[in-house]
Amino acid sequence: MSVEFKVQSSESVAAGFSLRSAKKTVTVAVAGNPNSGKSTLINAIAGTRLHVGNWPGVTVEKKEAVFEYEGTRIRLVDLPGVYSLSPYTQEEIITRDYLVHEMPDAIINVVDATNLERNLYLTVQLLELEIPVVMALNIYDEAEKKGYAIDAKAMEEALGVTVVPTVATRKNGLYELLKAVIKLADHPASRHPKKLNYGEDIESAARIVESLIQDGYPSLAEKYPQRWLAFKLMEKDDHVQNELTITSDALSIEEAVRHLKKAHEEDVESIMADARYAQAAGLTREVLKRPELRKMELTEKIDKIALNRFLGIPLFLAAMWFMFKLTFDVSKPLGDWMNTMTSGPFKRWAEAVVGLIHAPSWMSSLVTDGVIAGVGSVLVFVPVIFAMMFFITFLEGSGYMARAAFVMDRAMHAIGLHGKSFIPMLLGFGCNVPAIYATRTLENQRDKALTALLVPLMSCGARLPVYVIFIGAFFPAHAGTVLWSLYVMGIALAIVMGLIFKKTLFKGEAPMFIMELPPYRMPSMRSLLIHTWEKGKHFLIKAGTYILAVSILVWFLLNLPWGVENKKDSYLGQVGQVAAPVLKPLGFGNWEAASSLMAGVIAKEIVVGTMGEIYVKTTGEEKKTEQPAFTDDLKELGTSFGAALVDSAKNVFSTLKITSLSAEEDEQRAGLKSVIQSTFTPLSAYAFITFVLLYMPCVVVAIAMRQEFGTWKWFGIAFAYQMALAWLVAFVVYQGGTLLGIGG
Amino acid sequence: MNLSMLKPGESGKITKIGAIGPLKRRLMDMGVLVGEDVKVEKVAPLGDPLEVSVKNYKLSLRKKEAEGIAVEVL
Repeated sequence: MSVEFKVQSSESVAAGFSLRSAKKTVTVAVAGNPNSGKSTLINAIAGTRLHVGNWPGVTVEKKEAVFEYEGTRIRLVDLPGVYSLSPYTQEEIITRDYLVHEMPDAIINVVDATNLERNLYLTVQLLELEIPVVMALNIYDEAEKKGYAIDAKAMEEALGVTVVPTVATRKNGLYELLKAVIKLADHPASRHPKKLNYGEDIESAARIVESLIQDGYPSLAEKYPQRWLAFKLMEKDDHVQNELTITSDALSIEEAVRHLKKAHEEDVESIMADARYAQAAGLTREVLKRPELRKMELTEKIDKIALNRFLGIPLFLAAMWFMFKLTFDVSKPLGDWMNTMTSGPFKRWAEAVVGLIHAPSWMSSLVTDGVIAGVGSVLVFVPVIFAMMFFITFLEGSGYMARAAFVMDRAMHAIGLHGKSFIPMLLGFGCNVPAIYATRTLENQRDKALTALLVPLMSCGARLPVYVIFIGAFFPAHAGTVLWSLYVMGIALAIVMGLIFKKTLFKGEAPMFIMELPPYRMPSMRSLLIHTWEKGKHFLIKAGTYILAVSILVWFLLNLPWGVENKKDSYLGQVGQVAAPVLKPLGFGNWEAASSLMAGVIAKEIVVGTMGEIYVKTTGEEKKTEQPAFTDDLKELGTSFGAALVDSAKNVFSTLKITSLSAEEDEQRAGLKSVIQSTFTPLSAYAFITFVLLYMPCVVVAIAMRQEFGTWKWFGIAFAYQMALAWLVAFVVYQGGTLLGIGG
Repeated sequence: MNLSMLKPGESGKITKIGAIGPLKRRLMDMGVLVGEDVKVEKVAPLGDPLEVSVKNYKLSLRKKEAEGIAVEVL
């Protein structure tokens, strides 16, 4: 069964609405537990028409789509996955606030049919809001396979909702689901959510509080579902209390629940949770028939091995190794291709166009070295971001992410992190940028921020060229050991900094680790691709703009005042001269090193390129290669893309091979090597590469942090502590080494 | 007796939830309620956290969090 409908291209409901006022827009919120297949269901209904953004003020993802179905305009709003409407997590607060304040026309409640009772606990809370509900009884195929028989009719009767069995991964039942939503929107009176009876003592207390509200605060009684408001006031829900400030009646409310608390010897919140679960449990007993004999399920079989005492960690590490290799090896040929294309044909075409209009040389340099190079540096990231998003989404969708957290939590918790922090940290060794984006798998803001602060200490691939050239120049005999020492130093400092942050910036209780281990499921390819595409697009547009701006800025710094012969007199060189004395105690207090480090904020590998430009003054004799014809460029574009694809595919199968560390030795590199041999000592060289390892994250990381957290705060902290740390460690290395008389 | 003391394969009936505030509410939201049966399925390879089954699904929690859940061995 497939769902077909016309999708309006316009994202703006209000604008479209005023034009065709004959049609009404039905706003439908989609709510459900995590792992209930909610994302898959939404992707199946709205597909690429989903508009992904953030909820105002927070970094939780918001998905929306507007489309037309059988003459009704439907606005679908995806709410974050939650287990409850309690006010303790960001996701719960968003879901609640949206439902209470925006009052959608209907709620689609996605319920995992294989895990009825816990899912119905949320349903019970949704009914308190008195908004019409259509229940998507999802993953119905799995429930049937398990031999479950669910009486949907009985459930409809008991809850006052429409129940539609669905299998979102195969698009089954979605057509009926939308029909039910429209029917409900057209005739809201046809189905009222039932007011479930929570027991006489709760109900009588609620009646008293309700009448208190009605008498004292008629405006509130208008604005909020009264029964829900009464429950929340009884529960002393901080969030609602802050919003309402019904202080004068606090005592009367307290009086109303006194009897209740005494009878149960519990706080009202717990009494209410009990009562709601009692409803969910009672209903489950009523509608669900389970087979007597329970077979050992596939998930349990897999977990017997995947979470095994001895095999759990090796298997996890193997899985991570594959993911890491796939992410970076598959994307690398494509990234390289994009890089070659922008610095090759695209640059030549731009030059040709600029030449045609007889633009001044500064403009041609701005276009080719600033703008085109900037575009290139954005595009290079695209394949790796897409690849990472794909694998992370797969890990989450398949259920393995929760296992990864389970296996690693003990080790990560020791330094104040969460089990799930391991994956971003690991990705950091490839590239810090996708690693920062990967912190989104962490639900808690504290865990997420702490992980993001430590990720830049993982030595990324862009730092490698710098190490390689210095190690090649000074420590060719001990290359492996020196390189290894840098990676280990990064990890060791991450542990130290983690412990320090845990005691200072993130003082107080570590967030809890109460996590569902969902059954293993094969995520649908469509859902995976849509998710990956959305994320990649988001990166391209949002991060791309910033990166471009920064690379143009650096062009200005490097090339102005226009016509500088000596890089020393460029703005960058001037700033380098100012900064040099600060680096003096570290053993590399010259403007060349300082300027190169500054250029490295774009991407750390640029340190090498800039050093090449500054130290090796081979300007003026640039090789004049013949300009390839336009058609040759086009041909090259196509064939090299094909070659890149082949390489990507090959890398999938050769992931076990370790990529060699040898950098291609070109003439400039060889020249650079001999220059740095004369300006650095082995000791100052080692101090320099430790500085490169530790000093501020690159601009793209900064932008990623800004995007993920919605504020510059965390990048500011990362910048400050990393600069201090880099200086301190390089200082200790150089001064300590000098004192001990090593390598001076 | 608390939940963290049960060995893999052992089950208990929850008699009291000692936690307070958000932790307690979160546990209850996940179906960890007084009177509920809970079975320890596994201990993570490094000794923490635990995997338990409750309300017919699998939940993981740290030992420290399990310490606050009093159980009566079944």
